[in-house]
Amino acid sequence: MKKKQQDLKRLLFNIASLVDLGQEVTSAKGIDEKMKTALYVVTGMFSVPKAGLFVYNADRHKLELVTCKGIKDADGTSIDVQTKYIKAFQKNTPYNISEARNNSFYERNAEAFRRLQAKTLIPLFAKDEFVGAICLGKRLSRTSYLHSEKDTLKVVASQMAITLHNSSLFKKIKNQVNENKKLYQNMRHIYHDTIQAFAAAIDAKDVYTRNHSYRVARYAVAVARELRWKAKEVEGIYIAGLLHDIGKLIIDKGLLNKGETLSAAEIQEIKRHPQISYDILSKIKFPWKDVVDFVKHHHERIDGTGYPDELKDPDLSDGVKILAVADAFDAMTTKRTYRKKLSLFDALREVNKCLGTQFDNRISKVFFKVLQKEIKGEIKEAQILPHLDKDFDPTIITTLLESITAELSY
Amino acid sequence: MNNFSIALKSSNDLVVIMPKGYVNDLGAERLESTCEQFFNKGIRKVVINFSDMQYLNSIGASVFTGMVQKTLEYKGLLCFTNIKKIHLDVFNMLGITKHVKVFKEELEAINFLKGKK
Ligand SMILES: [Fe+2]
Repeated sequence: MKKKQQDLKRLLFNIASLVDLGQEVTSAKGIDEKMKTALYVVTGMFSVPKAGLFVYNADRHKLELVTCKGIKDADGTSIDVQTKYIKAFQKNTPYNISEARNNSFYERNAEAFRRLQAKTLIPLFAKDEFVGAICLGKRLSRTSYLHSEKDTLKVVASQMAITLHNSSLFKKIKNQVNENKKLYQNMRHIYHDTIQAFAAAIDAKDVYTRNHSYRVARYAVAVARELRWKAKEVEGIYIAGLLHDIGKLIIDKGLLNKGETLSAAEIQEIKRHPQISYDILSKIKFPWKDVVDFVKHHHERIDGTGYPDELKDPDLSDGVKILAVADAFDAMTTKRTYRKKLSLFDALREVNKCLGTQFDNRISKVFFKVLQKEIKGEIKEAQILPHLDKDFDPTIITTLLESITAELSY
Repeated sequence: MNNFSIALKSSNDLVVIMPKGYVNDLGAERLESTCEQFFNKGIRKVVINFSDMQYLNSIGASVFTGMVQKTLEYKGLLCFTNIKKIHLDVFNMLGITKHVKVFKEELEAINFLKGKK
């Protein structure tokens, strides 16, 4: 229990830091201050007292210091980087400099690395372009980076890479309108990366729910688009889908993966997760409204027998209703510890059976409709179909969907 | 931003630093430089009293990481006192508390440091 609490705290701290970083790099501050702040965020996340941030100068084949922390007389420090080294770098991936001790890259720059007291190097790439690097010294915790920490570092690195990349563009474009638009785009990109990383952590808890959050998010997007929600609202429900089960992070893993029948107390424990999700997410400032409401109520039912608040239909928002269908549908069509997965045919019939009690008629009808359209190839960017097993007969499914939706029209 | 400030009390060979408000942006760098100034003056015993610190994020954590590093380099003694649980959790998580002594109250830290050379 203690370890789990710590993992959660760690994760929350990282997420809050990533959100801070996102805000910093998209702020109106000058690039130097942005990069300095970004470096503080990274060094704070991993308790690294000494670090430097470099920008790549392609003409000179050198990494040039932009800003550093905790290192005296570092001004003017540069690192030689030949094209062959760049080709060998793994994008935005931290690696241990001492492990590379034998290679000529390290040898060439041994003096600079010693001055920086560098232990870890992260080459920064914006898409395929090498733009710079971060050097990190020893951590105060004296521990090495965990797998999850390396993943977080990757997200951080890609954010910083994009920021660096844009800063050079900034000089060329000089068009504030375009630039602001670009900044906004980047901010969204960054939030998505961050939240995606978070979602992956959630799904990893339970072997059977791998990518569950991602699929739920996709399915919800399909329905929201069909309802002609505005782009920003669609984004909101996507984020809610990715994060809806975040509360499961502090529910015992053994319990989540338990195959046999659960006791009443254990069921109660699992049912706490939407409330916990809410408690966690309400502390984060999201640029989208309603995310928290959607998450808290994704297990509510139309008939008022859901949880945590036993809300009834008129009190449930469309977003909540969408998530409820998307979540249940994915649970049905994937294997779970407690049962085999249902065929698409059986899953659709199951949703149909629960209309008016668990699921909302209108929203479910839209869900059926959009799936139908996707099967017929009428939707450009299919959101549901790519995630389903391909072993169903499209004619049978289409016929079923037609008859269900026809019935719902009366 | 302007919701951060520092209060100082120093006597003989000891200084008490009190960060106030939000330790969440580059403004908090002053904590690090203040600390170093005292080290340079030969004052090696530092108490940080957190009772007025409201908010801490990773930028703030970075500043304290820097202070701990300076303490190690100057062979100083650093004590943290009056920390809210939520901030202590962060410091523990980051391994910062491996290098400092944590006390409930400022006075306990001062008494502890008085007994040290
Ligand atoms: Fe759930």
